[in-house]
Amino acid sequence: MVKLIDKKNLRVDGRKLDELRPIKLQVGVLKNADGSAYIEWGRNKIMVGVYGPKECHPKHMALPDRALLKCRYHMAPFSVDERKPPQPSRREIELSKIIREALSPAIVLEEFPRTAIEIYVEVLQSDGSSRVASITAASAALADAGIPMRDLVAGCAVGKVDGKIIADVSDIEDKEGEVDLPVAYMPNLDLVTLLQSDGALTKQEFEKAFKLALEKCRFVYDIQRNALLEGFMKTRKEVE
Amino acid sequence: MSAAERKHEFVDSMRREQILSELSFGRRLDGRKFDDYRPIEIQIGPIVKADGSAMVKIGNTTALVGVKVQVGNPFPDTPDEGILTVNADVLPLASPYEEPGPPDEDTIELSRVVDRGIRESHMLDMESLAIVKGKKVYAVFVDVTVLDVDGNLFDAVSYAAVAALATTKYRKAEVKGEEVSLSEERVQLKPKTIPISVTTAKIGEYLVIDPDGTEEAVMDARVTFTYDSKGRLCATQKGGTFGFTPAEILKQVETARLKAAQNRKILEDAIKVAKKK
Amino acid sequence: MGKIQRKFVVPGDLIIRADIRPPPNTYRMGDAIYSLKVGLSEVEGRNVRVIPLAGKYVPRVDDLVIGVVTDLNAFAWIVDINSFFPAYLPASDVFGKRYSPEMIDLSRKFDVGDVILARIATFDRSKDPMLTVSGPKLGRLNSGHLVKISPVKVPRLIGRKGSMSKMIEQATGTRLIIGQNGVVVVTGPPDKIPLAIKSIEMVEREAHLPGLTEDVQNFLSRKLGVKPSTIAPYQGDHE
Repeated sequence: MVKLIDKKNLRVDGRKLDELRPIKLQVGVLKNADGSAYIEWGRNKIMVGVYGPKECHPKHMALPDRALLKCRYHMAPFSVDERKPPQPSRREIELSKIIREALSPAIVLEEFPRTAIEIYVEVLQSDGSSRVASITAASAALADAGIPMRDLVAGCAVGKVDGKIIADVSDIEDKEGEVDLPVAYMPNLDLVTLLQSDGALTKQEFEKAFKLALEKCRFVYDIQRNALLEGFMKTRKEVE
Repeated sequence: MSAAERKHEFVDSMRREQILSELSFGRRLDGRKFDDYRPIEIQIGPIVKADGSAMVKIGNTTALVGVKVQVGNPFPDTPDEGILTVNADVLPLASPYEEPGPPDEDTIELSRVVDRGIRESHMLDMESLAIVKGKKVYAVFVDVTVLDVDGNLFDAVSYAAVAALATTKYRKAEVKGEEVSLSEERVQLKPKTIPISVTTAKIGEYLVIDPDGTEEAVMDARVTFTYDSKGRLCATQKGGTFGFTPAEILKQVETARLKAAQNRKILEDAIKVAKKK
Repeated sequence: MGKIQRKFVVPGDLIIRADIRPPPNTYRMGDAIYSLKVGLSEVEGRNVRVIPLAGKYVPRVDDLVIGVVTDLNAFAWIVDINSFFPAYLPASDVFGKRYSPEMIDLSRKFDVGDVILARIATFDRSKDPMLTVSGPKLGRLNSGHLVKISPVKVPRLIGRKGSMSKMIEQATGTRLIIGQNGVVVVTGPPDKIPLAIKSIEMVEREAHLPGLTEDVQNFLSRKLGVKPSTIAPYQGDHE
């Protein structure tokens, strides 16, 4: 049995129980996409491209009163320890749906009837909690595209290892730990848009973990805000 | 690619208004209270050719599960554990919105959520399902066929899968040198816990348990909580294109826990009766 | 005159608590106005404005746009106007209501690949935008250099009463035809066109920063080797 928390209450990678891994988020990184973002969250490396609003293809799928939101979550074959075949797995199919449903509440889809908004998430390297990192980056990419949103969606996963509640679950903590609980949250509207859990939690443990997740989502939101500020309010550079 | 598709009856705005109006008086269209389930019918063992089977009806929603236990190779990262596979199929005859073909994202989500409820609650002792460690294990196939759709597939499918597994009698494996085969002697699959899921729909500002087809068509979001016999939360899945407030989540996780205990009793009674036969 | 409070905002940011109708790029919840976009909010008393820093072109009736003909059929030209729907220029707009499709080959007037200057005639969310070329100076643009900028930067490129675009035009001797949809066609002496384009790119890059006019002025004066005062921002009336 792998010991995930040592005597000093530090985790395998040296983090404190409620400490997040380093997060770097940049927007406007792709030339062709209407909006884009790249996130490095611990060893996760995820690229998100957003196209839209655009004409909806196939036409019969277009909705008369709103944009059709489409989302693809895909992991590159080299992104995980065991090579993953490129075809979408059942997990990727479920995650594509979950991520779409986490972002949908934020977007004013009614503003663009009969169009499509496409979100492409590509996990280039995965190291635990990639779905919340993907949602965090995708929100920023949607904002980068100038798509009207009521709020940003920030995500963070909490968990339980060696009986203790932790924030930001890494891959080894997910594999060897007891509980993984990803959350995505819109801080200004106070709405949880993604909530999953696996592993046993008592009532008290769930409340503690859930509240910790919301607190960390607010922290992640600040990172999104700063990334957008930096991306858009670039200062002058010398032009010859 | 995941895209929002309309897979249920088109509900006109008058109907949604009507539902919301009734809810404001504390009533649902079929007269239920917010926390009430529709009648739950459990039939255990209808498919004698399966090692375990159960059919569950919640209202009109009907799910039939057959369990088959075979010999297989373990996964490389769990060489000493048996294999559990849950696969759901919503038949075209079950709903006018279902087309024949490979499972779509909703059906895949359904399979995976039911799978996690069983797996994360440790209903089965996976290590006891090893035959020859590292080489041969029991592979437990939980195949779900949905025969009629009227809301809340998550709970109907989950209860049927749990009831079928809890009453599964599988053929014991015999090891003769290098060969592993299934003998005629049957062994009872012994569950370590009975996981129960409770699904709640959010319609406007109201939270209703066990949504029927019409309620699902108008709902804004749903959340499924699964608990083990000790009442611990073992799996959660939020779905739908809207969100829950944190207060709603904290309230509902407790309401659902109590309902799960009630439904567990119903399932356990049915299992007890079936085992006596 | 109150002081204008300017702030960088992201979607969901609170802009003001006031009982007012939500201006474009904002929404109202309860008694407060929130931003829908990444942009700059300007609050002066109860006057609120959000200038978005990104976004596709949303057609508005009467907007001047520059588009490219991508297809045609018997009844209309299909024109790419850099938005999320293609626009249609009906043949009747050019040939009159009683034209007969068998008699007229639309490609003789505008062919696939042609760049046209048009106005948005109609647009609502249930139909694709319709264009018109009946109006002075509308129609095919025969020569020039096509540049695309983000549509949200167009007001800055035009400037107050055309001051920014006129300044660039006068300094470089070029002409800028600016579509509200972010498409710009630059015509004029070939040796000056690259300078005009660089100026346009500079405006797009720094649209959100104060002192942009001075920056462009200094850039042009440096490149042309003349005193900045000779590159005065245009003060007169823009036709």
